[in-house]
Amino acid sequence: MARHSVIAGGTAGQPSLGVVIVGAGFIADHHGAALRTSDRAHLAGIVDVDAGRAATAGRTAGGVPWTTDLAEALARPDVDAAIVCTPNVTHEAIALQVAAAGKHLLVEKPLSVDVPSARRVIHAFEQAGTTVMAAHTHRFYDYARAVADAIGGGAVGTPVFARLALLGGWIWPDWRAWVVDPGVSGGHALHNGVHLLDLVTWWIGAEPVSVYARGRKQTAAELGIHDYLEMTIDYDNGASAVCEMSRGHRPASLDRRDVLVVGTDGILQLPTDGWGSTVVTESGTALLHPQASDGFAVQLGAWLDAIDGGADAAMTPADALRAVALGVAAERSIERGEPVSVAEVLGGVPA
Amino acid sequence: MSDRALGVLLLGFAGLGPDQDHQQDMYLPAFGSHPGFEVVGVADTPAGASSSTGHRLAAKLGVPAAASWRDGLTDPAVDVVSVCVEPGLRVEAVTAALRAGKHVLVDKPLALTAAECREVGAVAAETGLVCLPAHHQRFHPMIGSALAAVAGGRVGLPWNVQADFLVAGGTPSEAGELANLGVYPIDVVLALTGQRVRQVHARITRHWHDGPADDLALLFLTHDHGVTSTVSVGRMRALADTRPAGLAVHRYRISGSHGVLDVDAARPAVAVRRAEATGATWHGASTVGRLLDVLHAAVTAGRSSSPGPADALHVAEIVDAARASAASGVPVELPDSEEGSR
Repeated sequence: MARHSVIAGGTAGQPSLGVVIVGAGFIADHHGAALRTSDRAHLAGIVDVDAGRAATAGRTAGGVPWTTDLAEALARPDVDAAIVCTPNVTHEAIALQVAAAGKHLLVEKPLSVDVPSARRVIHAFEQAGTTVMAAHTHRFYDYARAVADAIGGGAVGTPVFARLALLGGWIWPDWRAWVVDPGVSGGHALHNGVHLLDLVTWWIGAEPVSVYARGRKQTAAELGIHDYLEMTIDYDNGASAVCEMSRGHRPASLDRRDVLVVGTDGILQLPTDGWGSTVVTESGTALLHPQASDGFAVQLGAWLDAIDGGADAAMTPADALRAVALGVAAERSIERGEPVSVAEVLGGVPA
Repeated sequence: MSDRALGVLLLGFAGLGPDQDHQQDMYLPAFGSHPGFEVVGVADTPAGASSSTGHRLAAKLGVPAAASWRDGLTDPAVDVVSVCVEPGLRVEAVTAALRAGKHVLVDKPLALTAAECREVGAVAAETGLVCLPAHHQRFHPMIGSALAAVAGGRVGLPWNVQADFLVAGGTPSEAGELANLGVYPIDVVLALTGQRVRQVHARITRHWHDGPADDLALLFLTHDHGVTSTVSVGRMRALADTRPAGLAVHRYRISGSHGVLDVDAARPAVAVRRAEATGATWHGASTVGRLLDVLHAAVTAGRSSSPGPADALHVAEIVDAARASAASGVPVELPDSEEGSR
């Protein structure tokens, strides 16, 4: 039986978009913070299958209504949209429910865990006439936009080779974390790998043809997912990209971004040691990040723009589908030990 | 150490590129400034216009020019032959020098195929003489310290290496840049990890130059102990801040069970910035100078060198497999080799 707060929902007449956050976990806090800075949208409620967690999140957010029943939240007239931060395998069912309720959706990446499922979600929103966007947040970080703008401005001519590495240590708490269960996350290529697969594809601006990936269980042999991924994409214009996504590096405090784009006219680099200050203390050397825009807030603005229908969406449903296809191709490639064509994944027919 | 300098015969002035002359550009200056060597003769192959090069150089150096390259090998004053002959003659020249009782320094690549490298290695082993392939990038000061750090366990057990070796400008090699430049980063990755390669996946493309030769190769290597590496190697267009045929990007990242080592071989450098151009400068022994130290030590100690023919063979096996993989689109397994590689 559903549980919910006794606070009545309803700030009807408020000019900004009412948004419920579904799934009150780690990443929901970032979306909540972005909503607090927005004058175009506000947090209208919290939905979580765990009543205690939902209630806590509702109280922390200043007393917004909470419920364990998504349908109840979506039925509220002051709720216009949902930001979904639940485990990946639940994205489709929740998205279909949001679409059926005629609401807009920002769903944490990946859009879904396989191509047919992602297509069903996109179709549902087309039918509903509402907006769906996958939260590929890296597209909205300063560094990614700087690289995209430089390439778009012709800084290196046509990109022919790119490297993107996001390297870190272990951030998942323990074996109970859903992200380490490939049955729930879809695997690391779908969970975090899609960030890089999407980003380099956006930068290179060509259609991916195939993915060759290698995975490693670096932190523990017993892992069900590959905490280190090395994924290579070949594009239809002859370009290639090598993406490394790691949660398996040591020391665990490692926090690396490395960007290299080689083009017909030049080289663009965001070197490992080139995007922060160095702090040397008794406990070692660390990188001090520069102040940066809040990528989640920028992303929220892009989603609201898409809902308003003014500009072209910064992250389209087709982009989200392609990211899922690339993630699936990477997981399949690791399994098979050879490249997997994107057409195969999009066609849904094994070679 | 020998109390006399080793006599050097400069044999050939060709390379993999149409205007490549490592003999005069790299080895001659390095021999000239090394106290352990003395150039005692010059010999050239009949091919192309280069035969006049040998005579001109001999006159300039005041040393004899051999009537033929085979005659040069009979000179008793010659201890070491520096071989820069054209690729088609390389195996013949190297094996002839070894059979003539001479130690050999061979410009890279030692040979164009694994089969040829195997042949050279067999002759070197049979004669017991030094046959040093010029894999000199492993003697870069940044790489040299990295080799020691990895071997000393500074990052724990290495499990991944990412390498980039991108030259900007200069004349492209007709043999393709995988054949021409690939040996350098592959040799460094092998030296860093000490692990043989078991599987190769590759993509070989051309982006900057006309003609059929490749100018960018991406290699995905799987080594013993599950170590993986990727190598990008190629020659792009000239860049304003890189000297012609200089390295625009040359770096290695080694990830280990207990740490990460980033090696930027564009360093150490004194950065100089001016109105019209930028540049960098550094003192200290050059990579070729250090290579000659290795040659001298091996010859005088009467032992084989590291790197040796087995290292060149393994690089050639990897390059061969990369071509096969690029053609087939799938990873290629390497056969077991009897010769070990370090």
